[in-house]
Amino acid sequence: MEEKIIRIKNLKKEFGKNKVLRGIDFELNKGEKVVILGASGSGKSTFLRCINRMEEPTSGEIYFGDTLITDKNIQKMRQNIGMVFQHFNLINNLTVMQNLILAPVKLKLMDEETAEKRARGLLKHIGLLSKADAFPASLSGGQKQRVAIIRAMMMSPKVLLFDEPTSALDPESIGDVLSLIREVAEAGMTIMIVTHEMNFAKEIATRVIFLDQGKIIEEGKPREFFEQPKTPRVREFLEKVL
Amino acid sequence: MDDFFNKVVELFTTPEYIESLLHGFVLTMQISFFAIIIGLLLGTIIALIDTAKKSKWMILPKFICKVYTTIIRGTPMALQLFIMFFVIFAIRGFPQVIIAVLAFGFNSAAYVAEVIRSGIQSVDSGQTEAGLALGLSRFTVFRKIVAPQAIKNIIPALGNEIITVIKETAIVSMVGLYDLNMAAKDIGSGQNMASYIVPMFTAALFYLAVVYLITFIIKRIEKHLRKSDSRG
Repeated sequence: MEEKIIRIKNLKKEFGKNKVLRGIDFELNKGEKVVILGASGSGKSTFLRCINRMEEPTSGEIYFGDTLITDKNIQKMRQNIGMVFQHFNLINNLTVMQNLILAPVKLKLMDEETAEKRARGLLKHIGLLSKADAFPASLSGGQKQRVAIIRAMMMSPKVLLFDEPTSALDPESIGDVLSLIREVAEAGMTIMIVTHEMNFAKEIATRVIFLDQGKIIEEGKPREFFEQPKTPRVREFLEKVL
Repeated sequence: MDDFFNKVVELFTTPEYIESLLHGFVLTMQISFFAIIIGLLLGTIIALIDTAKKSKWMILPKFICKVYTTIIRGTPMALQLFIMFFVIFAIRGFPQVIIAVLAFGFNSAAYVAEVIRSGIQSVDSGQTEAGLALGLSRFTVFRKIVAPQAIKNIIPALGNEIITVIKETAIVSMVGLYDLNMAAKDIGSGQNMASYIVPMFTAALFYLAVVYLITFIIKRIEKHLRKSDSRG
């Protein structure tokens, strides 16, 4: 039997009267790369952000492994659930190196020396070792996002959530960021990604889910999903974006 | 012109005059200093309560802070001073300087709270999310990420508030305290209008010197804090 990383039961989220998620059931197996598609306002980002409680769910249950995620244990859970944001969110008052080692050292996952060594290795790998002591303000968007990805990797998470990781980038840096995500995926990381890069979605996904008005209305293997969509709504969507 | 010159000489050669001015200056600085300390401490506490995550335990403290800042910011400082002197501390023999310090401190706290609150809220929420998503506690996120960035926004406005308090303490002369403002009036009084000119402008120079010094210090601190904004 496959190892379940995340299980979600009847997840609902309302912002005031606005029902953004209307009951989502979902399971994520180890090693899967799930791409979440949907029109804007369909609840994709909210869905992703409920998993690590960047948004407080209105109701429903989310399990990480066998553990029900609650307000009490969320801090611990987040150490295993990495997140990469649309706007990078590198910490402005810390250098690149400090951004990378802050959480692992503060949470005593490793000592400072080990963390720095690991950070240097990762920075070298993405070609940004020379920026170790630079502040985020001096980096380009693509550089910031690649640092943000290795910052998440520093925690050795069990799953990595990508919330539109290339939407705020100029076309030139999108390729760099996508190839780093591809590399992380190929290394075996379990991934959930909200993206508008359809070609990348096709290539990387092991499963595609499509959200419409806060519900998963279709899911399947990328080949089936893109070539033989079952619902008219998905067909309509694909015609527009492809 | 000769007359003016003579007045200047008179002011600086009459020991009682100089003593009065210095005495007034010291009192102004004492009241300002302690009022600013109270303002900063109380103001910080109010701001932290105001920006704390909403929960049922915070409803009452948040409400109290809201009422406090609304009343303080919505009524004249001079009236607050009178209320402190003639209503709340209308106790015979209670040290007047302490009443003044409290009046200005309590007043300043409301403005300091506002400055700190808006400083904290001006930090992009993505910064907090980044820290929380990594599994850091709210406290660590505040201390390592939000506070250092908020301070950059807070320091200049806080400098203004300090300057405001120093200048505003001049109204203690209304309740009979002998501060710098009162000293200037006292030295000039009993003669003619011209006799006011020299002590009043001298007092103005004292205030200006202090304000200038504080502005200078704040600018230095700002420059120091801007390091992480530099691109390159």
